[in-house]
Amino acid sequence: MESVERRERVRVRALWVRFGSVEAVRGIDVSAYAGRATALLGRNGAGKSTTMRVLAGVVPPTDGDVQVDGVDVRVDPLTVKRSVGYCPDVGGLVPRATPWEHLQLAARLRRMEGWETRAQDLLERFELGDAAHRVTGGFSHGMGRRLSVVLAAFHRPGVLLLDEPFDGVDPLGVEATQQVIDDAKARGAAVLISTHLRDLAMTSCEDALVLRGGSAVAALDSAELVGEAGARAYRALLD
Amino acid sequence: MPTEHSWTELVRGVADLRALLAFRASGLTDRVRVRLRIAGGVVLALTVAAIVVPAYLKGPLQARHASQFVAVLPSLYLGFFALAVLAAIASGGGREVVPREQAVAFPVSSVTEHFGALLLAPLNIAWLIQAWSVLGLTMYVVGPHDVAAAAAPLLLWIAFSTAAGQAVGWVFEGIRRGAHGILLARLIAGSTIALVVVLIATDRFVPLLDRSPTVRIYLAAAYGTGNQWWLWARPVAVLVVMVVVATVIGLVPARWALHRALREELRLESGRIEPRPNPRSDLRALVRVDRASIWRAVPLRRGLLVLAFMPGLVAVAGSLHWDMITILPGLVASGGALLFGVNTWCLDGRGALWRDSLPVSASVAYYAKVIVLFEVLLAAAGLTILLAALRAGPPSTAELTSALAAALVVATQVVAAAMRWSVERPYATDMRSARATPAPPVVMAGYSARLALRTTVVGLVFSATAVAPDGRWAVLVAVPLLCWSGWRLVRTEALWAVPEVRARVIAVVAS
Repeated sequence: MESVERRERVRVRALWVRFGSVEAVRGIDVSAYAGRATALLGRNGAGKSTTMRVLAGVVPPTDGDVQVDGVDVRVDPLTVKRSVGYCPDVGGLVPRATPWEHLQLAARLRRMEGWETRAQDLLERFELGDAAHRVTGGFSHGMGRRLSVVLAAFHRPGVLLLDEPFDGVDPLGVEATQQVIDDAKARGAAVLISTHLRDLAMTSCEDALVLRGGSAVAALDSAELVGEAGARAYRALLD
Repeated sequence: MPTEHSWTELVRGVADLRALLAFRASGLTDRVRVRLRIAGGVVLALTVAAIVVPAYLKGPLQARHASQFVAVLPSLYLGFFALAVLAAIASGGGREVVPREQAVAFPVSSVTEHFGALLLAPLNIAWLIQAWSVLGLTMYVVGPHDVAAAAAPLLLWIAFSTAAGQAVGWVFEGIRRGAHGILLARLIAGSTIALVVVLIATDRFVPLLDRSPTVRIYLAAAYGTGNQWWLWARPVAVLVVMVVVATVIGLVPARWALHRALREELRLESGRIEPRPNPRSDLRALVRVDRASIWRAVPLRRGLLVLAFMPGLVAVAGSLHWDMITILPGLVASGGALLFGVNTWCLDGRGALWRDSLPVSASVAYYAKVIVLFEVLLAAAGLTILLAALRAGPPSTAELTSALAAALVVATQVVAAAMRWSVERPYATDMRSARATPAPPVVMAGYSARLALRTTVVGLVFSATAVAPDGRWAVLVAVPLLCWSGWRLVRTEALWAVPEVRARVIAVVAS
């Protein structure tokens, strides 16, 4: 059982991402395992969102080895995109499409059959049922965040990437997101959560990776970052 | 104490506008600054040339066609006024110096918005070409004697038309934002179009134009070259007053309109949209989302309707012949691309990141955008030809083939150019507001000039094929042009397929 749970679904080694002269990620290693959630923590500009984008197949790595379920993201990005569910850090929604149209598009491109019941269920769980047929341009920030989580989890991906999923979300939305994370772990998915909300992350994650200036500065057990002592330890890692 | 209509606020509004322009300019690279200076210099040089060169051509050309030009000049001045009004209405009152989502944190007054919109109004190739036409044709007729005096009333008329058009644009925008505003706006637009159609049908349109008071503008220019200074000074003084009054008076409707809620946008965002059956292919699924992004965006919907109907109605009013109708599709296609096509991925906005994380090939995503842009441009161009045909009478085979080939060629040509720009120079824009543009105003002016030049040349080529004995010439010309544009589209697709390029576009439009 232990060996199944520790199956490495995300394997990142010596990842470098450069945008012109800017080095957004500088040689980090990340591992995420089946049935476990890993928190990516760090200050703004630490490289969390860029790492997530690389794993989602949206940003190509400049250098290094990035594999999702054994597939190299550079060699076969489409297969990686099929395995991954991604909630981007900004927006993540087409402004003049409805949530239902987002789900229709995702279902079509992911070859999902009989998806409507699950879509309806997810929208209800995130209290978006009434807004299912309204364009997302009129959504509040929190509603947009919740829908982005729904879209990421919709197809039950093997790797769930949630970038700032709790940002501006009300307590009920946070609970629904944590439920989605627990469900994903229960079915053997690897979950990566990038957030500034350390306490919330620690309630859902088993592992934590602290980034600073594009480099990984510590890989910890989440228990080490809980409570006042965890806050002090985390604060010390940021400087 | 409210100070919005005080001198203090006027002075502050101008100072704020300078600050906004400086903010906008701060994001420019040195290379872009140089290019902007060159473009500004070219526009200035062309304006001076439009004043001086035709005046000095009168002698060598022995004033050929001068009497015909005199007859159309008052209508041309009136046409410039109509263009200024239409441009302001179509842009929701006027363009923004800084996009709303960027300016939201700053206390930008309606005074600044109004002066900003006025400043940006000339950054439009239609405005520039019409202004140059007004200057060039009049100067040719009046000749080279005291060029500055002759040009003064023309420049003042151009300034007045722009300021008055802006004021009318704000009034229309205010009406549109009110209760039942959409209905009222449509009634006003419909009634105006119906009135013009009735006047044309009853042959009263041209006599009405002949009685246009704008003839005084021409007379003022002529007095300037005839040393009749008192007769020249009076209309010039009146025009100066008109410019100042129109500029200042525009502040009132600007404030009124800008303080009203964006009713149409809010209605679109809060209304229920009936779900449609599941799409049967990846391409259809992507095309459907892109189509929705166009038809549910107020500026795009309104712009496309204006583009589909206005050039056709102008063709009907001007009783254009088939050999000139071939130029219209180019104007319509260029205008359509300028609504969103030159930055096509702005349709996805912040959803671009999520969309790109879906498992679909870059090629399918690219061609979905191509199809949507192409169909919109072709439909608008087709409607224009159809409207123009109402007055032009039954075409010959060559005329019909040339008009259709022109529409097809310019639509492909414009799509190819727009897709290239979209990939090479993306911008983060929110197309929610009717005042939004897919790229900064100065960039839009450059795009519009390049598109207008290319499509007009193609339109003129098909004007020539329209007078050929049969339609084969049009087909022969169309095939290589279509192949060229097709090749450009494929080349851009190859660029889009590069992950680094795609990532840059996505990151910019989603930011």
